[in-house]
Amino acid sequence: MVSTPAPAPGVAPPGTTDQAAALIEFRQVQKTYSNGFQAVTPFDLSVGAGEIVSLVGPSGCGKTTVIRMAAGLSSVSGGELVRRTDQLAYVFQDPTLLAWRNVRSNVELVAKLKGVDKATRAAAATAAIEMVGLGAFEKSLPRQLSGGMKMRVSLARAITSAPELMMMDEPFAALDEFTRENMQNQLLRLWRANGFGAMFITHSISEAVNLGHRIVVMAARPGRIARIIDSPSPPTKDDAPRDKAALADTAELVSSLLAGDK
Amino acid sequence: MTDLSTHQPTETAPVKAAPPAPSPGPSRLVAARRFVVPPVVAAVLGLAIWQLIIEIFALPVYLLPGPADVWAALTTDAGPILAAAKVTMQEALLGFGLAALSGFAAALVMARWNIAERGLYPYLVLLQTVPIVAIAPLFVVWFGAGITTNALVAAMIAVFPIAANTLQGLKSTDRNLVQLYRMAGAPERVQLFSLRVPAALPQILTGLRIASGASVIGAIVGEFVAGIGGGEGGLGYVITLNATQLRTPELFVAVLMASAVSLILFAIVATIEGQLLKRWHESALPTEE
Ligand SMILES: Nc1ncnc2c1ncn2[C@@H]1O[C@H](COP(=O)(O)OP(=O)(O)OP(=O)(O)O)[C@@H](O)[C@H]1O
Ligand SMILES: [Mg+2]
Repeated sequence: MVSTPAPAPGVAPPGTTDQAAALIEFRQVQKTYSNGFQAVTPFDLSVGAGEIVSLVGPSGCGKTTVIRMAAGLSSVSGGELVRRTDQLAYVFQDPTLLAWRNVRSNVELVAKLKGVDKATRAAAATAAIEMVGLGAFEKSLPRQLSGGMKMRVSLARAITSAPELMMMDEPFAALDEFTRENMQNQLLRLWRANGFGAMFITHSISEAVNLGHRIVVMAARPGRIARIIDSPSPPTKDDAPRDKAALADTAELVSSLLAGDK
Repeated sequence: MTDLSTHQPTETAPVKAAPPAPSPGPSRLVAARRFVVPPVVAAVLGLAIWQLIIEIFALPVYLLPGPADVWAALTTDAGPILAAAKVTMQEALLGFGLAALSGFAAALVMARWNIAERGLYPYLVLLQTVPIVAIAPLFVVWFGAGITTNALVAAMIAVFPIAANTLQGLKSTDRNLVQLYRMAGAPERVQLFSLRVPAALPQILTGLRIASGASVIGAIVGEFVAGIGGGEGGLGYVITLNATQLRTPELFVAVLMASAVSLILFAIVATIEGQLLKRWHESALPTEE
């Protein structure tokens, strides 16, 4: 398990996407549900290794549909979706833990189901639990944890399966503002250590701007991309200080794009 | 900000799975008083009214025996009545076990294969609608009058609540958890036993609880119909026998014993339920924590 914040080799520099090395590519991807509803109209996007892409947009614009297709949970009705990795992790809005298993057992679950051998997954789980700061709670059951702690268990579980691509569907939406900011920092810490690529859905503009190397602003009816914005000051492996003013401008821009979409 | 510090990633302060603090004596006593005293008072009052009615209307014992008559019948007949209760208990337990195994297995199969559900479920419902009193004589013809027949009748009415509740539980697993298992490439079998069965535990146990009472009724119905011919009848046999002879105090005792058998079976299931859910699935319990 990589635990030093040293830049991982082979990881594309933030903000740039080498098309050839993209983990996942949407080419004119469409989704029409069986009832005839067009949820996503031709959608083009690629996510590079180690790149975090935020998706924001009004409710019902197809964000969940997009990452469900990316994860293979939903079929593609048109266009082409190329995924170059099988190492996926999906983080739901709710922690989605097994209530009868303790923290460690929950964290190891996905790796175990994937057939990762015991020693490897135990070591990965130990590192992940440490990283999300739950070392003292390994034996606790989910009901003994707060909402934010449960969400951290969910993140640790995703990390333990060593994903190259994380799909996150509003993972922090149910949390209070303070915990939420904290979770964003946790996620960036994990990202610096593990260098996964990610598609991160959120309704919070500040969250989208804080996490994303790129911010995909979507519009509804029909679901489509309104604009893709490169972050002026993306998160970096060495945790360099961010340009707060530039990020605030980006947030303004995203906000006006969303407001323009009615 | 300091009071929010527990949210920091570096936290180590173990709020830690504290060993369940033994509830302080006084409050436990208070709780016991709150739940024990009212029923006891009600029982004493009920017995008093019962005796009073007999005195006022000068009712003969064969019509309505008083509490004292019933007590006398119980103490003089204790041996045979306990033996009968034991027979009924055995039949009910046997039927309950049979129903639990077959009901659980049927629910697993139906949860695993949709086609099996469509094929089997209607017949399960049908089984539930068949008048048990009409079927019992058929069982006597096939299996003879005795424990086997009565246990089968018990199993027949106990199987539906178990199968139906278990199936319901197995089918209502959190969708996201199911997808988590699918995405990890877990085979259906693993998903069933590692996820859906434990998640369905509360419903499974509810089914068992309902079935525990049903199996006692089944055993007694079986004894009504089948037990009369057989040498060793259970409580159903004792009830029929005493009813035809107008031995009303003995009849009362038999009815009380039947309730006691039901209660014992129910208590066994409820205890197992409490233990399992507490250790394994505490989230399913409504807690005031
Ligand atoms: N299974 C389905 N069948 C038909 N229509 C669906 C289905 N799932 C989603 N939709 C429709 O597709 C559209 C996009 O849904 P989706 O869940 O992707 O939106 P979203 O952007 O994630 O919204 P939110 O922010 O509220 O989560 C919605 O209008 C929804 O009604
Ligand atoms: Mg959504």
